[in-house]
Amino acid sequence: MSTEFQHAIAVNELADPGTMMIEIDERLVVLVHVEGEFFCIDDVCTHDNGPLSEGELQGCQLICPRHGAKFDVRTGQAMTFPAILATTAHEVKVDDGNVYVKINDE
Amino acid sequence: MTDTMTIAEFNDAGFDAFLASRHEPEWMLAERRQAWSQFSDMQWPGRRDEEWMRTDIRLFKLQQYHLVLDPPDAMPSEITPLLDSDITLGGHIHTVDGNCVSSTIADHLTQQGVVFGSLDDLTAEHADRFQTMLLKSAYNSQADRFAALHSSCWSGGQFLFVPRGVHVTEPLHVLSALTDGAADLGHTLVVLEDGASATLLAETASEQEDGGGLHCGGVELVVGDGASLRYVNLQNWGSKVWHFAQQKAVLGRDANLQWTSAAIGSRLAKVNQHVILAGEGANTQVNGVLFTQGSQHLSYHTLQHHQAAHCHSDFLYKSALQDKSHTVWRGMIRVDKGAQRTDGYQRNDNLLLSHHARADSIPGLEILADDVRCTHGSTSGMVDEELIYYAMCRGFTRKEASRLIVTGFFQQIFDRITIDSVRDALALAIARRVRDYE
Repeated sequence: MSTEFQHAIAVNELADPGTMMIEIDERLVVLVHVEGEFFCIDDVCTHDNGPLSEGELQGCQLICPRHGAKFDVRTGQAMTFPAILATTAHEVKVDDGNVYVKINDE
Repeated sequence: MTDTMTIAEFNDAGFDAFLASRHEPEWMLAERRQAWSQFSDMQWPGRRDEEWMRTDIRLFKLQQYHLVLDPPDAMPSEITPLLDSDITLGGHIHTVDGNCVSSTIADHLTQQGVVFGSLDDLTAEHADRFQTMLLKSAYNSQADRFAALHSSCWSGGQFLFVPRGVHVTEPLHVLSALTDGAADLGHTLVVLEDGASATLLAETASEQEDGGGLHCGGVELVVGDGASLRYVNLQNWGSKVWHFAQQKAVLGRDANLQWTSAAIGSRLAKVNQHVILAGEGANTQVNGVLFTQGSQHLSYHTLQHHQAAHCHSDFLYKSALQDKSHTVWRGMIRVDKGAQRTDGYQRNDNLLLSHHARADSIPGLEILADDVRCTHGSTSGMVDEELIYYAMCRGFTRKEASRLIVTGFFQQIFDRITIDSVRDALALAIARRVRDYE
C-alpha cells in the first residue's frame, strides 16, 4: 500500500462546491471541493458504514444519506449523532491544476 | 476465445469456452445457459439491500478473475490441510481452482453404496440424481447475481451420497485450493438417506497467504429422516480473496445436523447459512468461529427456519476481531405457524481486540406459532485489561496473555466440537494469529 501522494483528478473535474467518489489504493474515498479548497475523507460513515459520497454537502460538512450523521470534511470528525467516531481524513495537495491524495493508512 | 484457451474470463466468449470444455448432458448445459442469462440480466447487490448495507463490494471487479479450464496435475506443494491430521479418512477430494486433482474413497464404503467424488466426474453416472437434486434441493439460483453466477459456472465440487441406514464412521475430507487470480465456483451436494450418518470435513486454502481470487460457492446438505450429519467447513483463503457463498441444509424427521463453520481467511466474505428444519423432531447445532485481522470483512447471515413441530436449533457464533477488521452477524429464527413446540436459540459473542475493530450483531425472531421457546442473545466487548494484567503478573507476556484470553473465549465452542482434529486445528490456527492486545 503506497503512502505517497497519488494523482486523483484534475482541478476542473470537480465543481465548487462538489463531491466525488474515487478509488485510490483499493480504497474508496470522497474528494470534496469547497470554498476553493480540496479535502478527502473515507467514503464510510462510522455509524453503520453508509456511503458518504451519496450524501449532501452543507458547507464543510458532509451528511450521511442513511441517518443524517454529519462529518467535517476538513478533519473527518463526526459532528452529530448517530456517528461518534471520526472517519479517516487523507492529506490532499493541489499542484499544477491537479489534485493529489496521500492515503492515511494509520 | 478458442479451444486452446486454458482460462476463461467472465464474459459471453469466456462462458462459451467454459461450456465447450465441459462434457455434460444437454439438460445440464441448458440450465447453465439459463442461469448465465439471468446473471447477465441482474445487477450486483446494492448498498440499499438490507443484507448488503454493511458489506461494501464496490471494489469487487469480476473481470479481475478467471475460470481455469486446464487444471494442474496435483495440489500445489505450498498448501497443507489443517483438518485431516492424525485421523483415518474414509476418502478425500482435492480441488485446485475448481478442478478436481485427486479423489479417493475406501473400498468398503463403495461396497456399501456410498458415493464420494467430484461432481464433474460423477455427472454421467448419477445424471438422474443430479437432474432432480443438484442446485434444486437446497439452493436458490435466483437469490442474487452471485447465485446466478454460481449456477452457471460451477465446476469441480463434491458429491457425497450415503444410502439408507449406512453409517460412514471415518470422516471424509475435502480440500479446495485457489491460485492467485483464479476463481473457485465449487459446489457441495451431500445427500444422506434415511437413517444414514457421515462426517464431512471441508476446508479451503490459497497457494499464497496473501493471494487473491474469487470463491463463489454453494453448499446443499440434504439430511434424511433419522439421518445424522457432522459437517465442518473451514474457510482459510488468502487475505485478498473475495468469498461469496450460499449454504443451506434441509433436515427430515428426527434428523441431526452438527455444523461447524469457521472463517479465518479472505478479504471479504458474505455467507448466507440456512438450516431448514422440515421434518418433525429435527435437531441442529451450529457452531460458528470467526477470527479477523487487518481490514478483513466477514459477513454471516444465518437462518434457522422451523417448518415442522418439535424441532430444536441451537446456533452459537463467536468472533474475535483485531486491527481494523469488521464482522457482521445477522441471525434469524423463523418459526412457521405449524411449528409448535419449537425450541430455538441463537447467540453471537464478539471479542474486540482493537479499538478500531467493529462487530455488527443483529439477532432476530419471526414467530408465527404460539407455543414455542425461542431465545437469542448478543454480546460485544473488549478484553478486560485487568485480565491481561492478572496473567502478566503470573509471568505471561502480553502476547501470551492475549492468546490465553482469546482461546478461553472460544473454548465454549471448542467444547461443542466433537472431532479432536478439528478442535485442535481451529485452536492452533487462531492462536497463531493473535497479536498483542492493543
